[in-house]
Amino acid sequence: MSERTAIELDNVSRIYRRDEFEVRALDGVTMRVPAGRFVAIMGPSGSGKTTMLNLIAGIDHATSGRVAVGGEEVTRMNERELARWRGRHIGLVFQFYNLIPVLTAFENVELPLLLTDLKKTERRHHVEAALKVVGLADRVDHYPRQLSGGQEQRVAIARAVVTDPTIIVADEPTGDLDARSAEEILNLMRDLNREFHKTIVMVTHDQRAERFVETVYHLDKGILAGVEAGRRVPAQAAAPSAAHGA
Amino acid sequence: MKYSMLVLKNLMRSKRRTILTIISIAVSLFIFSALVSLPTVANELLADSASSVRIAVHNKAGLTYGVPESYKTRIGATPHVVAVMGESWFGGIYHEVSDAFPNLAVDPETAEQMWTDWDISKESFDDFHKIRTAALVGQGTMKRFGLHVGQQIMLRGTIYPINVTLKIVGTMGGKSPPNFLLFRRDYLEEAIGRPGFVSIYWARADSSAAVPGIIAAIDEEFANSTAETQSESEAAFMGGFMDNFRAFFTMAKVLGLIVVITIALVAANTAAMSIRERRAEIAVMRSLGFSSRLVLILLLAESLIIGLIGGVLGCGGAYIALKVFSTGSPAAGPLSAIRMPPTVLAETLVVAALIGLFSALVPAQAAARRNIVDALRAVA
Repeated sequence: MSERTAIELDNVSRIYRRDEFEVRALDGVTMRVPAGRFVAIMGPSGSGKTTMLNLIAGIDHATSGRVAVGGEEVTRMNERELARWRGRHIGLVFQFYNLIPVLTAFENVELPLLLTDLKKTERRHHVEAALKVVGLADRVDHYPRQLSGGQEQRVAIARAVVTDPTIIVADEPTGDLDARSAEEILNLMRDLNREFHKTIVMVTHDQRAERFVETVYHLDKGILAGVEAGRRVPAQAAAPSAAHGA
Repeated sequence: MKYSMLVLKNLMRSKRRTILTIISIAVSLFIFSALVSLPTVANELLADSASSVRIAVHNKAGLTYGVPESYKTRIGATPHVVAVMGESWFGGIYHEVSDAFPNLAVDPETAEQMWTDWDISKESFDDFHKIRTAALVGQGTMKRFGLHVGQQIMLRGTIYPINVTLKIVGTMGGKSPPNFLLFRRDYLEEAIGRPGFVSIYWARADSSAAVPGIIAAIDEEFANSTAETQSESEAAFMGGFMDNFRAFFTMAKVLGLIVVITIALVAANTAAMSIRERRAEIAVMRSLGFSSRLVLILLLAESLIIGLIGGVLGCGGAYIALKVFSTGSPAAGPLSAIRMPPTVLAETLVVAALIGLFSALVPAQAAARRNIVDALRAVA
């Protein structure tokens, strides 16, 4: 039985225009990510990693080619449809967490749920569950400035998973963290993938990530240069994760 | 409702900036609503008197010249005139010079027919007829000096070298100027030695259609006499009085407009700064699924709330201030009874809402439509 495809890129190109120059960020990339996988996109700076992630997340448009996520063709959607689709199917994690500073951890996680029809009590249950998964059930009333970088990123992950999206896309989620926090975040993402069967696509420079993912896609100068299996360590061999601790 | 938390939290992001913006809008709308109230009240007074059946007959040379008392019978004999009342300006002061207010001596026998819309009770008019020193006082003046019906007061003359002692027999309401005081002209005439002149005659027509004919007939009657008359409908008389303030009203409107435009520009700058600081957050919200339209609505809601709070504080302050000073200088005549009309209140709140909406519209639209990737990249 063949695996279900979560993400499909067919001959995708993305060309940016900067004044009179053309920058070919992605050049005819074709790839497929099966559902339920935790994959990393790696490559040197300027290789098109983030561009690819943005196209998968539906926050950027391909110049040519076809992008389909969860069976829906993203490249055919207009801005309004894309916004609605992102709210339902995509969980985004950024390098610099990008939490709203005036909102508490609870309110930050609740933010994407405001777009749903859930009642206040239902929203509260979802938020509490998400914060529990990332091990921050006791930090609900903390503002981002009162949290460490690792905790902020966990709140960002809780915000990404609270709507139970089909796919989580993470752009350098460990890029702004110390080694220990980075390890914790990678563990957490692996656990989300294993326990909740989330498809996770992560852009990273972090070589440690290879130990947590199943597949690594290498990009170079906008071209898919190679695909290799990750060196994923068994769960019991890894350090106890936040999800387990929660 | 579920987004109200988000809007309020963002409003409180920089408390000092939000409060200062609200205060600046409040101050400007205080000035705007106070200034705009002046011409609006004037126009309302004119509109009130537009269908009046009263005619003012005064000396053609000007209001400072009297009209002979003998004219009363001849004016009364004009077809369609149902009542004639003489009125003389006394110009007395209560205690101090600063206590001045409009006080006039009128013919008691026809006052009731003349001022049917001044809400004067029958009992008060009865006493006005019976008591030679009787006075009817506007509610503003009653309140200003803490007077009560039955009280005896003395007015010191500033035009005539006499003082008059008066007994308050009733109050005036309705369309009467709230700071007026009326007493009997026969009492004044006796006190000043019967000079035989009145300031104005008020004639009442049997219908508003008859007013132009009466005006023409009266002025023709006294043409080529030693005291030629100029008769005017009440609306024209009030309008002539208001003409003295016309330039001031125009200036008030222009100033009010300048203040509003200036503060709208200041508010726009503040909104632009506030939104620019949050470009990355806005991009994140959109990446989470917030549509451009929803983001725009949320940003405009913040600005609208700031504008409306400023508007409520500004016109509320002006409303209270005008009420407190409503028994102001008699030099302003009917306008001394200045107040904030409900139309100005509504206009000011609309202006406040527009300041709020338009000050944030351009930066909010730009932020809501900006490419998400560009906005995130600019901050990263």
